[in-house]
Amino acid sequence: MIPALRLAVVLAAALLAGATQAQMTDATAIVEAANKASYYAGDDGRSAARMMIVDGNGNRQRRQFTLLRQDVEDGGDQRYLVVFSRPADIRGTVFRVEKQVGESDDRWLYLPALDLVKRIAAGDKRTSFVGSHFYYEDISGRGTSEDRHSLIETTDEAYIIESTPRDPATVEFARYRTRIDRDTLLPMRTEYERADGEVYRRMEVTEVETIDGYPTGTETRMTDLDSGGYTVTQFRYSEYDIGVPADIFSERSLRNPPRDWLRRD
Amino acid sequence: MGHSTQRIGARLALGIMLAGLVPGLGNAQDTDSGWDDEGWGDDPWAEEQTGWQWYGFIEGAVAPRLQSDPAVNDDFTLAETRLQLEGERQLGDYTATLKGDVWLDGVEDGGRGDLREANLAGRLTAQTDVVVGRQIITWGTGDLVFLNDLFPKDYVAFFSGRSDEYLKAPTDALKLSWFGPLNVDFVWMPQATPNRFITGERLSYFSPQAGRRVAAPPRLDPRDRDDLGEDSELALRLYQTLDGVELAGYAYHGFDKQPSAQDADGNAYFPRLSSLGASVRAPLLGGIANLETAYYHGEDDSGRDPDRPNDQWRWLAGFENEPISDLTLGWQYSLEWIQDHDALLDALSPEQRRYAPDEYRQLLTNRITWQGSRQDLTLSMFTFYSPSDADYYLRPRAHYRFSDRLSGTLGANLFGGKDDWTFHTQLEDNSNTYLRLRYSF
Repeated sequence: MIPALRLAVVLAAALLAGATQAQMTDATAIVEAANKASYYAGDDGRSAARMMIVDGNGNRQRRQFTLLRQDVEDGGDQRYLVVFSRPADIRGTVFRVEKQVGESDDRWLYLPALDLVKRIAAGDKRTSFVGSHFYYEDISGRGTSEDRHSLIETTDEAYIIESTPRDPATVEFARYRTRIDRDTLLPMRTEYERADGEVYRRMEVTEVETIDGYPTGTETRMTDLDSGGYTVTQFRYSEYDIGVPADIFSERSLRNPPRDWLRRD
Repeated sequence: MGHSTQRIGARLALGIMLAGLVPGLGNAQDTDSGWDDEGWGDDPWAEEQTGWQWYGFIEGAVAPRLQSDPAVNDDFTLAETRLQLEGERQLGDYTATLKGDVWLDGVEDGGRGDLREANLAGRLTAQTDVVVGRQIITWGTGDLVFLNDLFPKDYVAFFSGRSDEYLKAPTDALKLSWFGPLNVDFVWMPQATPNRFITGERLSYFSPQAGRRVAAPPRLDPRDRDDLGEDSELALRLYQTLDGVELAGYAYHGFDKQPSAQDADGNAYFPRLSSLGASVRAPLLGGIANLETAYYHGEDDSGRDPDRPNDQWRWLAGFENEPISDLTLGWQYSLEWIQDHDALLDALSPEQRRYAPDEYRQLLTNRITWQGSRQDLTLSMFTFYSPSDADYYLRPRAHYRFSDRLSGTLGANLFGGKDDWTFHTQLEDNSNTYLRLRYSF
């Protein structure tokens, strides 16, 4: 009797533990897990993306591109190929990045009208990505070791992390707070603050879908609270683990985009 | 006089009309957000596309000279309304591209056209790409300075105020690219394609024979190199990237792109030119550094014939970085070293000797670019300065994207220097300021 009861208690506890995500307590581990969940789903991936850029006066611009990604190492180096299809003046432009964690990325830009492969100097990653409110770093991820992270709250649904830059001179924020979903480990909201605590920039994931087993933020909004301008990015037709060969990420693909790998299935 | 004023008035009216018309169109289009799921359908990767896809732009451009040019009876280097249409069609694994411009030209008076691309491109094998037909080809590491890129340029467009993309002129060619441990580009141009060089029709230039700046008429009209096969040109590039370092070797066998030689009757022609070169480009000190060299083997390898170019060894070193956010700074130094300079001087008549190029022509360039308003605004300045020629060429520019469809560019081409006959000073009277408005669709 008593052993049977004990067994039942143990089983019930195990079931409960399995039903809710094990609670994490180390801020750096949470941030690293969130980084992998947002930027390293699968070993590679393809997605169509479009951006609606709305400035403070309500003027709208659009960008549309297809993104191919391959992880060299999970949580580490990555290769990206971004092929633009809209608007007309940047159609055919291709952007290639060799992301190198801990050192500068290698970046190339192909301008079709001049047949020019331009190499881009490593620069500030916190500047606009193709004219949107997203920064380069928001698209390809910010190195998790560039900030100090502390877990300031754990709710039923989320971890709230506060991050402060190790080198404040290289960034425009004093700190940022991220709300990370405990189930999916996706950062659902990030708010960037000035030294006086005023929030001036906010990222929100407004749509999540599970694709090939990976929870994916399929709609994200970045708002510039100073101007009221914002950019909405939608990802569609995302696929993971499609087996992109490494040689796709090369000069060949800048001049002649890899049609077979860009095409949606 | 009255006639000329009328013409200028008509051209300005044309430009202004276009400027007024286009924002109206732009607004109408921009309210259409297209932000529903159907908006995804036009993605070129969505599915196998059938039929032609068309794109293009309409552009109005005026470029008044900043001074009158005694050699050219025109106060503008540019006054035109241009339509570019580009069509693309998938044919199995191949893409057919057609790109053509038509424009009303107020400087050369009348309608003009230019077929810029007409080619078929695709994968021949898993490791080979091919492009056949009229195309734009670019390689090398220089920024507006070309050593191993001996594909045609359009300096008339570049100097007169047209958009940068027109600096590269099209060529009819077969381009084969093979990708392996060492990548190979092989280009065959069945007919020689020269630069669109200064003929005197739009821009004046210095003539050593006349001893002053001249313009058309008579138009500089060298003998064409259009014998199929006989006048063909070959260009080769071998390249690979090793750990972020881009290495390349180049070879070219064809003709000078400029009509730099004269036959016994004093007629200009395009002399034979062969070259060998190499380049390296790599990240350095937080920026990108490049080094390129090319040895030009000219038609006169002894230097004794002043009417034909002799050998030259060219060097280029460059560095670009982003010292502060949104500001890019680029520097280049280039050297053109004439190999048999003493023999060249000896062969020149005393009155021609003063116009002779220096043994070492040095050129410094600087590019400074700043982007603001989330990249809607780009301010830039490109400076060419030659300490050996004591001349300069400045290209200040402001570009603004009003919307995805409408953009405007205001800029200038400013030439000057000490001696009338050097590369940039000869263009002094062509200094201009320009305004372009482009509506893309």
